[in-house]
Amino acid sequence: MPLLAAALLAGCATRPPASDPESLAEYEQTNDPAEPTNRRLYAVHQAIDQYALRPVAVGYRAAVPQPVRTGIRNVLGNLRTPVILANDMLQGEPRRAGDTLGRFVINSTIGLGGIFDVAERWFGVRGHAEDYGQTLARWGVGEGPYIFVPVLGPSNPRDLVGFGLGIVSDPLSWFGQGAVVDGLVYGRTGITVVDTRESLINTIDDVNRTSLDSYSTLRSAYRQRRAAEISNQGEVAPAAAGSTGYGVGTGMDQQRR
Amino acid sequence: MHDFNRRTLLGAALALTATGFGTLGFPGPALAQADIGRAANFIQTTGQDLVAAINDQSRDIAARRQRVSAVLRRAVDVDGVGRFIIGRWWRQASAQEQQEYMKLFEETLIRNLSARFGEYQGVRFSLGRSQQRTEDDVLVNTIIERPNSAPFSLDWRVAEIGGQPKVVDVIAEGTSLRLTQRSEYSSVIQRNNGSVAALLQAMRGQIQQLAAREQGR
Repeated sequence: MPLLAAALLAGCATRPPASDPESLAEYEQTNDPAEPTNRRLYAVHQAIDQYALRPVAVGYRAAVPQPVRTGIRNVLGNLRTPVILANDMLQGEPRRAGDTLGRFVINSTIGLGGIFDVAERWFGVRGHAEDYGQTLARWGVGEGPYIFVPVLGPSNPRDLVGFGLGIVSDPLSWFGQGAVVDGLVYGRTGITVVDTRESLINTIDDVNRTSLDSYSTLRSAYRQRRAAEISNQGEVAPAAAGSTGYGVGTGMDQQRR
Repeated sequence: MHDFNRRTLLGAALALTATGFGTLGFPGPALAQADIGRAANFIQTTGQDLVAAINDQSRDIAARRQRVSAVLRRAVDVDGVGRFIIGRWWRQASAQEQQEYMKLFEETLIRNLSARFGEYQGVRFSLGRSQQRTEDDVLVNTIIERPNSAPFSLDWRVAEIGGQPKVVDVIAEGTSLRLTQRSEYSSVIQRNNGSVAALLQAMRGQIQQLAAREQGR
């Protein structure tokens, strides 16, 4: 965090003068006062993505058959239940909380530890994602300025705080110590990153190929999508939303109905 | 009583004129009210045309892509979307730049969309719920299903343009295509010190790349 703060202070976009109301309106609409710094961080991310994240995701897609990948995604989604349930309740959504709890019970048992999404297939109860960033938004906390974090993706102070709360509040991170537990925690994190990136291969390839400025495309897409997720409108929430900014954001190829 | 009769009469007259305009296909008033059923039908027909074009095994990929772009040109309000996307920079552009922008925009949009839909071999779609968004547009939901991948949902924003329903935006996962692209284009212009010419140059470069990729297949 201190590093981030220092980086943010280092490069700020110049605010247009009041004599140019249209530019000023757009500047405020874009909500990216630290744009020069964010763009540098984005360039770092693009390099990491090109040489590490994407190749690993592509390899994963090639090596692991789709039914297995779906099972892995289902397990990851099931493991996120405590966080999703807590946020359903914090947002005062008893019906959605009931869905989340019911899904957990059914999928963990009949669904063999969450591998099979029986709750959706047999009972028609679809999963949804929630996180602390969304809850904070529902409580009236503003998003704050846009921030791009390498590996994590597009974000903002509110969603970053929510991301941190999601980690510390997850009961799975409370228990035990030692190599085995650490291994499981890191393993889960690693698989989440790979799974999330795999779900985004086509989407991000498209953006990189067709956008004249992928940085601003991602920024705009992330903010629009977050707004839709927060309002719980439409069919936006992926069941196994990962813990990265992209995952909370953009799994376009995931099932939604 | 008298008043009431007069009002019903007036209402009936208005309704008659409105349906008259509708069925005869006269261009209605500038902001014609969108009709949900009409918009949904329009997306149903357009979607069927698109799916037929994409899945047409009797043609090679180039011919298929051409058929897809013909459907898109007919269904999308290209001019309106183009103007929306360039937004405030339109007025900064010279008449010649405006003209070239429109040409390049149409080509970029159609090429991008047909390249993307062209990959959707074996695609099927079904109509979801439609809802009135504002006075003059309707959001029509579709579910897109492709072999070997999970179905996803696409929303089409449909408005009456010159008395015809047209697509004015596509929304995936809460993300509007035209809003995203507006921010992209504006960013390109801003980063080149407000030069619309720089955007046009970038668009030309992109069209060349797209064309090269199409050749490569």
